[in-house]
Amino acid sequence: MYRLRFHGRGGQGARVASKVLGTAAFLDGYYAQDFPLYGAERRGAPVAASTRISEDPIMERGVISAPDIVIVMDETLLQDPLTMPVSGIKQGGIVLINTAHSPEEAKVEYKITAQVLTLDITKIGLDMLGTPILSTLAGGVAARIVGLSEDSLRDAVKKILSEIITDKRLLDKNVAAALYCFNAITPAKIELKTTDTIKKKSTVISVPFEPATVSSPAINATGNTPLRMTGNWRVFRPDWNYDSCTRCMICVARCPDGCILVNEDGYPYTDYDNCKGCLICVEECPTNSLGKVREVHTKKVIGK
Amino acid sequence: MRKEMLTGNAAAAWGVRLAEVDYIPVYPITPQTEIIETLAKWISDGVMDSRYVTMDSEHSMLTAAGSASATGARAFTATSSQGLLYGFEMLYAVAGWRVPLVMVNVSRGLSSPITLEPDHNDVLAARDTGFLQIHCETCQEVLDSILMAYRLAEDERVLLPIIVNLDGFYLSFTREPVAVPDVEQVRNFLPLYQPKHAFFKASQPMAQSAAVLGGSSYSYFKYQMHMASQNALAVYKEVCDEFETGFGRNYDTIEGYMLDGAEYVLIMTNSFSTLGKAAVNNARERGIKAGLLRLRLVRPFPVADLKAAISRKKAVAVIDQNISIGKGGILHSEIASCLYNEKHRPLLLSFIAGLGGKNISPDEFEFIINKIVTGVDTEDAGTAQLIYTDKEWQEMGRLKRMAGKG
Amino acid sequence: MAGNGEIKEDGGKGVKDMVMERIKSIKDIPPEENMLPGTPACAGCGGLLALRHCMKALGRKIVIVNAAGCFTLLTIYPYTPFKNSWLYTAMACAPAGAQGIRDALDILIKKGRLDPEEDLKVVVLTGDGSAYDMSLSSTSGAINRNLDFYYICYDNESYGNTGVQWSGATPFASKTGTTPPGRICPIGSELAKKDLFAIWNSHKPPYLATISPAHPVDLINKFKKAEQYKGPKLFIALSPCPPGWGIDSSYTVKLAKLAVDTGVWALKEAVFGVVTHTVVPKRFKQVEEYLQVQGRFAHLFKPVRQEAALNKIQEEVNEYWNRHKLLL
Repeated sequence: MYRLRFHGRGGQGARVASKVLGTAAFLDGYYAQDFPLYGAERRGAPVAASTRISEDPIMERGVISAPDIVIVMDETLLQDPLTMPVSGIKQGGIVLINTAHSPEEAKVEYKITAQVLTLDITKIGLDMLGTPILSTLAGGVAARIVGLSEDSLRDAVKKILSEIITDKRLLDKNVAAALYCFNAITPAKIELKTTDTIKKKSTVISVPFEPATVSSPAINATGNTPLRMTGNWRVFRPDWNYDSCTRCMICVARCPDGCILVNEDGYPYTDYDNCKGCLICVEECPTNSLGKVREVHTKKVIGK
Repeated sequence: MRKEMLTGNAAAAWGVRLAEVDYIPVYPITPQTEIIETLAKWISDGVMDSRYVTMDSEHSMLTAAGSASATGARAFTATSSQGLLYGFEMLYAVAGWRVPLVMVNVSRGLSSPITLEPDHNDVLAARDTGFLQIHCETCQEVLDSILMAYRLAEDERVLLPIIVNLDGFYLSFTREPVAVPDVEQVRNFLPLYQPKHAFFKASQPMAQSAAVLGGSSYSYFKYQMHMASQNALAVYKEVCDEFETGFGRNYDTIEGYMLDGAEYVLIMTNSFSTLGKAAVNNARERGIKAGLLRLRLVRPFPVADLKAAISRKKAVAVIDQNISIGKGGILHSEIASCLYNEKHRPLLLSFIAGLGGKNISPDEFEFIINKIVTGVDTEDAGTAQLIYTDKEWQEMGRLKRMAGKG
Repeated sequence: MAGNGEIKEDGGKGVKDMVMERIKSIKDIPPEENMLPGTPACAGCGGLLALRHCMKALGRKIVIVNAAGCFTLLTIYPYTPFKNSWLYTAMACAPAGAQGIRDALDILIKKGRLDPEEDLKVVVLTGDGSAYDMSLSSTSGAINRNLDFYYICYDNESYGNTGVQWSGATPFASKTGTTPPGRICPIGSELAKKDLFAIWNSHKPPYLATISPAHPVDLINKFKKAEQYKGPKLFIALSPCPPGWGIDSSYTVKLAKLAVDTGVWALKEAVFGVVTHTVVPKRFKQVEEYLQVQGRFAHLFKPVRQEAALNKIQEEVNEYWNRHKLLL
């Protein structure tokens, strides 16, 4: 059995990617199972989805804790301590990362011991679809890695997307993009050296009692959401050109997240740690002092 | 202290008055309404210094009681039956806030068909919510239990809300002598509510009841509630001891009636336990070594006390005044589960009686006791038995014919 | 951190509320951020933008009583964006939660158990699913009891938190998850949006207003005006929702402006029942301009133009402004 886990952000298409893969495997005659896990319907929030593919009936349910293959659709998730997309990956398993980095760079950058493949899926999505919705593309990549047929992938994309969208042209573009991704990577061979996971075995404990001052679901800290670093969500970043900025403060008033601050000279600037990249500021700036550039996340960008 | 003839509802109101409750959001429902009318009058007359507000539903009422308690006020509310169920979502919610409010539930059977008289499906539906539950047999116990409930709920080892339960009609509207303690005496027993975990104030912002994502956090918070409820078993005993010292009346998690030397035990709750006690007396006169165990603390469930009291008995009959449709008596299941691993355990019989306030007659008790004795002789507990007589069946036939049911 | 112009904490008790005069322009908006970034709200959330300005107007001595909705997730353990207190209740009962807190604060202050300096404004925060549908009863009760509280409804015209389904606030001919346009019903939702402003105003509360995230000056001045009244102070913010409305996240403000400029969203206030419009477009734009940029109305234009539905929407807007004698 192959166990695949997709990690993306809400709206990016991890759930649909897992369905595309599950359907393609089903069409190829395998037993298949796919399953999304998301906290709440929220664009940008971490989302995981699982697909199992097997020649025998599948006796598992729920989130895959020890995957053979992980598809990281959003590179920034690798730095999210709550998500930990590569957790549990088996030795010899494969991690595919949506990044502009080479596999070697990514392996070092994110300290991954499993095999790493990379593909800039976002760029392909923007070029071929015009949006960074990567469901069918990630499904295409995954289908290739597990060795499914191109025909089944094509049929699966058509089937799944026709349930969601009515635009025939967009559907065709997705089929093309999925197949492009399918053929864009050379799959590594999954060489599981052991069925053990890299994760340490955990022990069941007896939870001690704590008084309600501690154990009620109340938060005594204040204003600590900036620790969540929602700057990770950005696909595009607002880019400043101060030559034309008139310090009109419109951008400051328009930012839903309060991520545009003002320096001592009265010039606004972006809190990139938290800016989600909605680009309202770019849209609203009356002097075109803000542009947008594709975000390429590295550690250097995150955290100013 | 003075003694007065009080209904169960009036005794409840006295408990609230003596606990010097700060805040009382209400919503009327039969047979609870007399409690809130009594409190309204006292507040209007100026003999009670509480803020009182009639809400738009039990759901709102429970929310307001919970949020006031979360702000640091001692809160009380009361409901019954459909009202309890209408507010059901908030039972879980406010228990999760860890707020020690006290609510009286005046038991009444649940619709459909809609009815007025009591059984315990309403209060037992709330058994998994996090509310502790004290079930009362007498009007005196209602008053006393409210005082003890605040003391128990507000203990830092507990901090969970409590339901004090009394039967509609058979207790709520029934007058009997009740000792009403002096307020000074109560103040000695029940200190001011000054929570360290729940407040809303400018100097110390707090986000109460945040969402959690993921089962690990959720499990932690829920299990802490469970452990707090388990702590309440020991805290309750302390409270009982202090109550006895202060007021001279003794309570425990369970009450044994003629239990010493008894071979056959009835287990009951609430006001009909009195009828069970009479039946025990009758049985003893017939030479049958019967006894009765009344379950007073239903949450947390007093497993150890129950085991100690009944595991070596010959047979136990649980008389459930409730029915879990598709399973049977709720308390029967709970008691069976705590006896299962005992080396010595009694034969356990199940009876459903008193649904919708249906009386349990001496004849019916005799039937039950005979069943226990036969059960022991034949080593067969049989299946759960609804206590329903031939006369009732005939009467029901007449009603069905009048309803055009042939 | 996003803290320019932050109020200095002085160890708690003396946290000063901002004193605000009516403001004239965007430059006058108080710089203090009382809700910090990093929330899980979607990028470009119109409701969050409205709330951010409401929070500036309200200051920090508040307790928010939140109903189930998108903003439930503003505080996910162990994070909160707020420097003020908060309580999550449930979908139907945030106004009842506000009642309990307001009453408890009053009692504790009266009985000398709480320093009056510790007092808080009580602020209900709900989405439209709660405000228009499930909590109508508890809201009506709270207004009727003249509860001294603020109520902010972020109205994104659907059950957004569950993935965009029809609510009582969903406008006519809108596509949602439960009103999908199809062969039998090509226009999507067939019901009109409830007039919550009128429903609430029938109680004649001291202060009631509609607000827009695109009109922060109007918004803040409305809160400023409301402050003088004891009793219910109610606000409905039309809040463009990128995933729900099918718009790019950068279009939120643009859409909020278009809603006002086309007359779809009337900016107004009511003091003890008497209604005044606060922003009236000099020349109304055609409603189509507002509709055609939103995915939730795309089926009104393609594959077949739903002429009758489009006319009906425009006519209803015209009728509203005619009725108020403001259509120039």
